[in-house]
Amino acid sequence: MAKYAMVVDLNRCQGCRACTEACKIENNTGQGMFWMHVFRFEDGAFPETRMSFLPRPCQHCDNAPCVKVCPTGARFKREDGIVLTDPDRCIGCRYCELACPYGVNYFNWQKPKDSQYSDVISWDDPDIQAITGGAYPPYKNPDLDKEWGPEGRRTAGGNHAKGVMEKCTFCVQRVEQGSLPACVDTCPVTALRFGDISDSESPVSRFIRENEAWSLLEEAGTKPSVFYVGGKPPSHSYKEVERPKARV
Amino acid sequence: MNEVRERDPDLVLWQKGRSKAKSFYDTAFVKAIGSSKLGHGAFCSDAGYRALEYTIGTHAVLHPDFRFCNYMLSWGWNITNAGGNKFCWLTWPQHMVKARDRGMKITHIDPRLRSAGPFADNWLAIRPGTDMALALALCHELIAQDFIDRPYLRTYTNAPFLVREDGTVVKVTVGEGDEATDVALVWDEASGAAVPFGEATTPALEGSYEIEGQAVRPGYEVFKSHVAESTPEWAADITGLPAEQIRRVATEFGENALIGSTLVVDGVEVPHRPVGIMAYHMAQQELGFQTARAMTMVPMLVGAVGAAGGQLSDFTWKLHKNYAAFETIDVADPPYDFMLNKSKYYPINTGNPGVVAQVMLDPDRYGVERLPEVAILHMVNPLTAFPSQPEYMESYKKFNFVAVISPWLSETADYFADVVLPSATIEKYEGPISATNQYVEATTMRIPPMEPLFESKGEIDIYMDLCEAMGTLFGEGGYLEQVNKALGLVDDKASFAIPTDSKPTVRQIFDNWSLSQGIDEGIAFFEDPNQSVFVKGPMSPKKMYGYAYDPPFAGALHRFYGESLLDAQRQMKEKGAEEIYWQDYTALPTWRPPTMEGSPSDYEFYLISYHMIEHKQSRSSFVPLLAELAPAARMDINPMSASRLGIEDGDVVTVESHNAITGETRSLVTTAAFCDGLRPDTVGVPHHFGGWTHPQNKGQGASPNEIYFMGEGYVSNTADQAFHVKVKISKGGEL
Repeated sequence: MAKYAMVVDLNRCQGCRACTEACKIENNTGQGMFWMHVFRFEDGAFPETRMSFLPRPCQHCDNAPCVKVCPTGARFKREDGIVLTDPDRCIGCRYCELACPYGVNYFNWQKPKDSQYSDVISWDDPDIQAITGGAYPPYKNPDLDKEWGPEGRRTAGGNHAKGVMEKCTFCVQRVEQGSLPACVDTCPVTALRFGDISDSESPVSRFIRENEAWSLLEEAGTKPSVFYVGGKPPSHSYKEVERPKARV
Repeated sequence: MNEVRERDPDLVLWQKGRSKAKSFYDTAFVKAIGSSKLGHGAFCSDAGYRALEYTIGTHAVLHPDFRFCNYMLSWGWNITNAGGNKFCWLTWPQHMVKARDRGMKITHIDPRLRSAGPFADNWLAIRPGTDMALALALCHELIAQDFIDRPYLRTYTNAPFLVREDGTVVKVTVGEGDEATDVALVWDEASGAAVPFGEATTPALEGSYEIEGQAVRPGYEVFKSHVAESTPEWAADITGLPAEQIRRVATEFGENALIGSTLVVDGVEVPHRPVGIMAYHMAQQELGFQTARAMTMVPMLVGAVGAAGGQLSDFTWKLHKNYAAFETIDVADPPYDFMLNKSKYYPINTGNPGVVAQVMLDPDRYGVERLPEVAILHMVNPLTAFPSQPEYMESYKKFNFVAVISPWLSETADYFADVVLPSATIEKYEGPISATNQYVEATTMRIPPMEPLFESKGEIDIYMDLCEAMGTLFGEGGYLEQVNKALGLVDDKASFAIPTDSKPTVRQIFDNWSLSQGIDEGIAFFEDPNQSVFVKGPMSPKKMYGYAYDPPFAGALHRFYGESLLDAQRQMKEKGAEEIYWQDYTALPTWRPPTMEGSPSDYEFYLISYHMIEHKQSRSSFVPLLAELAPAARMDINPMSASRLGIEDGDVVTVESHNAITGETRSLVTTAAFCDGLRPDTVGVPHHFGGWTHPQNKGQGASPNEIYFMGEGYVSNTADQAFHVKVKISKGGEL
């Protein structure tokens, strides 16, 4: 059985957020939701200022606090290491959001149609529908609504039902079809790597071994499946700049 | 349009902003209808283009040979947010991270650290508009520390040319009759005499000599004297950088240049100078042309131009036509055309829509008798994309007819268009598009994924329809013949030419072109998603490196010393040009404080504008997904400066600019964003916002282009726009 992991090479990351956008397009997440968030940090006063970037997907922890606190088993970890959410079991209690030290969980406050990026144009307008054929852009990725894995659950986002939690799925719908997660596939400078760390000779295993990889909040004991190479963990002196801002 | 064309086709003005791919269909249209033509270069990097065309003959600015470069000056290169020389964003960062994996060091020269992200090993937070002073100080230090590649300077530059005290070069006539040419004299160290360049075995670079009673010195010696006082301490006062930092960078650059070394690349031995500069849009400053010349002299001194690992510029060393044209710069008498070509104002002229706007508002002042009457504005939006809005607002009213070709209802279209011809975005054939990464030659093509939306059409369809309606589509000189010429479907490839007596489909045009390139499948090759990129193969070192080119540097003699610039200055003076126009036409880059320094002292900040990676010029801020990541305009300010003014992060602020020539002030209101990675005397505003026609633009705020100025002091030298102005900041204002 494969064990999936992601490595973020901070020696290469440009902070461009192409991964963020690729995630949104692939997973049709609503406004203000960034399953793959990229921090931009400043540290130090002029002229001793330093900048750094930090992509932050779900860490898919081996010792996942979100799984432990979920009262319904909606949040669970698969044998291949991917931590997922079953929207059909989620009751929206948001315990996972509180338990997670990485801030990767997002609650669906709105119906999917209302949370999308169509608040200026009326897609219900007959003239618009004559062109769109009744589609609501961005179109609904049908893979998100399918059942995946041996569990047979709708774990790829479940089309973002109102009242449930969601987060990065490592693009389970792509991985199960032999593709890379959208963020990894899109990164223009190969700052993101993904692969099987149960195979000690896989490229991602070798990359982790040959570089001084570290994890976020190692002291929390969560044992993330996301590793970082280069840079250093953010400290309290870091100031986040250029935050995305939900438009609604 | 035809009515105006019949009277004078020059009075039809075609103006283009940006689009992708080879501009053959633009060229064909302009030639077919005979119109005047304006581009976007005066707001992009054309001051640098003109400087490099003048100095080394390439049509580009500066980038290093990343494959072998060990030490790079990222000079105003917005590494993590924008493209670099010649390429858009993707390719350069890919090369850069590979070079970093090898250990390449980056010295970042920019008022903003934000632009470099974590990739600056060393940050020189330079004061805006003072780059020339830094370049001259680096030259001073390279000379002082003897990091000089004398063989390069002697052989491939005009640095040995003997210069009189009045700045003219000593020349003799060689040959007779039609073969007679003027050749510069150099001092032959072997014979101890002045001989024509090319006849000396060892031309002197230094020393003072006498020819027929006149004192003369080699151009290099003149330059040495010119920068003798340009010490790091001198530059420190101007640039705001510590002198020791400047000296250290010069030393690192010189040491890493490995002067005298060679490298074998793909079997070809070439000089190895693994140092270079990446510079592009920073050329758009008041002293931009001469600044880019001074910056180019830094790698020239160490022999890095055209060397492996060193300073590259274009992807070929084929000479741009301006290299020869700039050998003599003729300044004409009025009347001038409305772009002021060959005028006493801008003898080297990039072609600036803002200059046209100014001329339209006051033609008598500039000695212009004929103004454009009709405008065709293609994918260009001067009202928000270019400085400065008030002049465009007034001048474009004077057009009798305006047609806009654009995918969106731009602000310019909203105000002025009599007709909007909606163009497709990606749903069209477009190409050929270079897919080179600098080291591999490749071509691709945009293939339409669907039919054009709504009433839109691809531009080529629009131009064919226009020409058909104007009677200029078919036959000799018509659009289709011009398309054949612009695509190279002539001479030995004439068999691939499209017929000029019937209207083709755009697909047919590209099918013929593809076949002419030896692609047997024609356009079907590009339509096949499994192929789609035509790879010609690795770029030969004989094409990439100037030293290995045949002949080296395409036969150019690099203009270290710019005699024709000085000659242009003389002519400008003779024709009565004011000093502000001729002052920078000097043989060697000469520092002076920018005009903006004449603003009152309460305008204490420098305003710079910058590009954010989320947006593309002024035409993406209405895209909701992108506007979520970068939602609105802002004014970056160092917290130390903000604190002094009582401004908190997120406060509403008023930014007021001042024109140091006219005294005019302009202002915008935005919010303050704290930024430690920015000089305390500088504020920055992104240039992507300020639109108002699209509902998604609502509330996004202003563009800095609203408070920049055009005209003297702000459009200069080569008719290029400067994106610098002094401003004062106050808390409050109405958003």
